[in-house]
Amino acid sequence: MQDMNLSDLFVSLTSRIGLNYEFLATGYESQIWRDGFVTTLYLVALLIPVSLIFGLLFAACLTSGKLWLSSPVRGFVELTRNTPTLVQLMFSFLVLNTFVSNLVGGAQNNPLTPFFWVVAVVGLHIAALHAEAIRAGIEAVPASTIEAARGIGFSQFQILRYVEVPLAFRASLPAIVNNLINLVKLTTVGNAIAVSEITYASIMVWTQRDNVVSLMIAILLFFSIINLIVARIGLWVERKLAVPGYGI
Amino acid sequence: MNTVALAPPRKRRHLLRNSGFLALPLIILVWSVADPSLGRELLDWVPYLASGFMMNIVIALLAMTLGTLVGTLFGILELAPYRLVRYPVVAYVQVFRNAPHLVLIFATTYIFPFEIVVAGHYLPFPDWVKAVIGLAIPASAYVAEITRGAIQSIPTTQWEAAKGLGFSQGQALRWIILPQCLRRSLPPWMNLFASITMGTALASLVGVHELLHAATDASTAVRRLDFTIVAYLVVMAAFFMLCYPISRLTRRLEGRFNAA
Repeated sequence: MQDMNLSDLFVSLTSRIGLNYEFLATGYESQIWRDGFVTTLYLVALLIPVSLIFGLLFAACLTSGKLWLSSPVRGFVELTRNTPTLVQLMFSFLVLNTFVSNLVGGAQNNPLTPFFWVVAVVGLHIAALHAEAIRAGIEAVPASTIEAARGIGFSQFQILRYVEVPLAFRASLPAIVNNLINLVKLTTVGNAIAVSEITYASIMVWTQRDNVVSLMIAILLFFSIINLIVARIGLWVERKLAVPGYGI
Repeated sequence: MNTVALAPPRKRRHLLRNSGFLALPLIILVWSVADPSLGRELLDWVPYLASGFMMNIVIALLAMTLGTLVGTLFGILELAPYRLVRYPVVAYVQVFRNAPHLVLIFATTYIFPFEIVVAGHYLPFPDWVKAVIGLAIPASAYVAEITRGAIQSIPTTQWEAAKGLGFSQGQALRWIILPQCLRRSLPPWMNLFASITMGTALASLVGVHELLHAATDASTAVRRLDFTIVAYLVVMAAFFMLCYPISRLTRRLEGRFNAA
């Protein structure tokens, strides 16, 4: 009841300055809109770990020194960095998805949803950007540190796990946070294949209500707030992990 | 001796990179030749796809021009000594730098009218111009940050020296500081250019006739799975051939400027 009154108050206050949020009082449209916010947040929460895990994996391949391992990853990184994410998404959804459908015998058996493809394409795209940042970080680890680790009997994997990655991660953190902000913004491409994230939900509302400006203000605020939070958390992690004597 | 030992892997890496650059067009070419009916179909659609890609390039160039002009001004204003000027500009930059490009394209497309009245004449306001504005907004926010960063990276002594030579603050900015910023902001500006060029594909979602839209049209008209694959490969190849040289050049410049 309290909640109802608050939203009514909000609608009447905003209508006084010319904004139209009347749909919040209706059950169906406000439900769609709220689900849109939840879907975007869910995508972001899922994509951050996915992109980080694959980014680390790609970076390990890139710096492995083995050509058969690094060149396919290098090719993928260059391809995904230099083509629009929307095109990659359409290609995956229209071509790869059709292949999968044919493989399992008909689209009705295809377990891969548009949601999966958004996570896969955006996640791998950002992972490629992470990989470049981490690779630069790994290459910035002083050779003497690695020699010292080898000297006390670390294996190649142990050097990567205990020496290179911890140092590289700290060095590349600012770039990674930047990529994560890009990730948040990229979730909107899901709109193209009918994943009901916030822009898709908003289109559903504004085609009925013709209140584009009002919804736009809400969407811009929403993305500003998420990105502010992501940037703040990044800064906090950066401070938390700071090694005395490194950086500022 | 050392350089001789290093030469072969480096050359091989170079070869690998360049062959990677041509991999997509080669796949398309080989496939078209291997399956002549597909090749003929593709050849029929190439002019249509090319006209779409021209639109991408036009949108990107106009958006970057507009974004650079506004962004440079905003970057200078971000450092203005008056809060009344600085705060609104900083707010603009923060909001639009954090906003998804797609959302801004939607905003300009749906908020602006489809025609404008100028002195009694109805002028059409086409969707692609709205897409230009939609991409120019984030471009201007990024350019503002690039400009601000570049100005702040110039040592204060430069300002002091200019003052000592009798330059006013405005003259110092125009003749001493900004020319030095040009060099520092070129690599990030080129990154932004590539990113905005790739952003033009988003305009297909609001019905602008550009490459991705053209490819979708073509694949729905032909209705062959292999043609659909090739059409989207062409789209990828076109963007890749445009953006990859830019990003390679950017990295070269970055390397050279860091070394200098």
